[in-house]
Amino acid sequence: MAAYIQARNVNLTFRPPNRAPVRALGNFDIDVAEGEFVSIVGPSGCGKSTFLNILLGLIKPDSGDILMHGKKLSGPGTDRAMVFQDFGLLPWRTVEHNIELGLELKKVPAAKRRAIAARLSALVGLAGFEHHYPHELSGGMKQRVGLARALATDPDVLLMDEPFAALDAQTRDLMQVELLRVWREAKKTVLFVTHQIDEAIYLSDRVMVMSKRPGRAKKTFAIDLPRPREYEMRVTPQFNELKLEIWNTLKDEIVV
Amino acid sequence: MAELQADFAVTAAADAAAPARRLWRRLEPTALGAGGIVGLLLVWQFLPDLVPMKAGTKLFFTVPSDIAGTLWRMFATGSIWAPLGVSAGAFAIGLGLAILAGLPLGILLGRSNVLNAMFDPFITAFNATPRLVFLPLLLLWFGLGLWSKVAIVFLGALFPLLINTYEGVRNADKLLINVVRSFGAGEWDIARLVVVPNALPFIIVGLRLAIGRAVLGVVVAEFFGAQDGLGVVMVRAASEFKVDVVFAGLIVFAVLSLVMTGLVKLIEDRMSRWRPQQVSGD
Repeated sequence: MAAYIQARNVNLTFRPPNRAPVRALGNFDIDVAEGEFVSIVGPSGCGKSTFLNILLGLIKPDSGDILMHGKKLSGPGTDRAMVFQDFGLLPWRTVEHNIELGLELKKVPAAKRRAIAARLSALVGLAGFEHHYPHELSGGMKQRVGLARALATDPDVLLMDEPFAALDAQTRDLMQVELLRVWREAKKTVLFVTHQIDEAIYLSDRVMVMSKRPGRAKKTFAIDLPRPREYEMRVTPQFNELKLEIWNTLKDEIVV
Repeated sequence: MAELQADFAVTAAADAAAPARRLWRRLEPTALGAGGIVGLLLVWQFLPDLVPMKAGTKLFFTVPSDIAGTLWRMFATGSIWAPLGVSAGAFAIGLGLAILAGLPLGILLGRSNVLNAMFDPFITAFNATPRLVFLPLLLLWFGLGLWSKVAIVFLGALFPLLINTYEGVRNADKLLINVVRSFGAGEWDIARLVVVPNALPFIIVGLRLAIGRAVLGVVVAEFFGAQDGLGVVMVRAASEFKVDVVFAGLIVFAVLSLVMTGLVKLIEDRMSRWRPQQVSGD
């Protein structure tokens, strides 16, 4: 199967003024197939979010090749969209107008924007909240807006940077179920960064463990749990074995 | 909050005189405020009857009824419109130019490190200097007419606008900028979609300060140099001991400032509808 996203030998060093340079990524490789759900777990500061920002086109790597659909990556594009950890909603815009943000920048006519926003509000469970402002929503609702906004421009790839990290444990569990439902309906390729091994296993087709800084791919695990995933799968022996295996790979990389 | 309201509703229903009481509760601050002003005016009005005054003191004294009469006459005969128009014109043109220059400049300096480094020493030096020291120079350059006044108003209003806009732009949320960039936004879109809305509260503060400085500019220019305007009328009246006319001018200036500040408040309320209400305990 041809890789849909292919990254080879990606290197990036941050050079903050007046401080020692930080090597964030060192010869990082990844392959993601079309329609696949891949999670990246790794210790804090291993460069996993940085890699998402590179894919998004906000950061340029020092070296390395990144191909999307066989084409070299250059800057942001409507084929990718990010769901941000801290939601990143514009507080002065209603839910509807936040969802329309990417469409507006694509110069999609207002009537069409409105129709897309209405459809996505319904898809992510926000129907009836279109005219609310972000401060009137709970954390889970805010991230539903973030998800709808990312889906609005109909990207091929959804990049998710610890999207549920700011939510409480119960909301997080429900949002994972919701995300799988939306993913099934929207049929996107997803690259999902998280700290939580449970979350990664439950959601993904494959889970990649990254090394500590400078981040590189340490090991990738195929998750053979059947789909659709049921919540009960989280307490099966198979799930727990995977969890232990991934933890054993990850724990040596964690610097306390 | 809901409980509190429920509680309140129960006691209110039990009380027969509830509607009257509720009305009073709502009007109380306004009534007390108005009462204070009326009381003060009454004391002032009858002060000459209560306190014996020498003829010399009486020359510099006036009572509210005289001031009101003078104001009425000034409006009725239309003698106020020409000087008021001159003052208001200088105020409006100077403030307008300051907004037109200050906002874009503040945004540019806030977004560009190069421009900021170039202009910062200049702005800091200018801002640290009281702008009124430029008045003699401006009178020399622009004459005693409209444009020296416009210039002093412009200089006074420009810096609060420029500096507050700059601060607001610097304060812009990096995450939100990245969000719009990820959707392909260029510098113009970033300014339009994130930087300016984010800086609006700062800009409003700047505007409020700028209005104060602009009024000050008009008054000072008219006291010390100009040949026309409400300030000139006040200075002339003072030299002729027409204290009521001086007070009338003062009141017109005060009302103008209040109206302008009210307008800014209106704009602010319109533009901050998205913000959490203070009572929600957010």
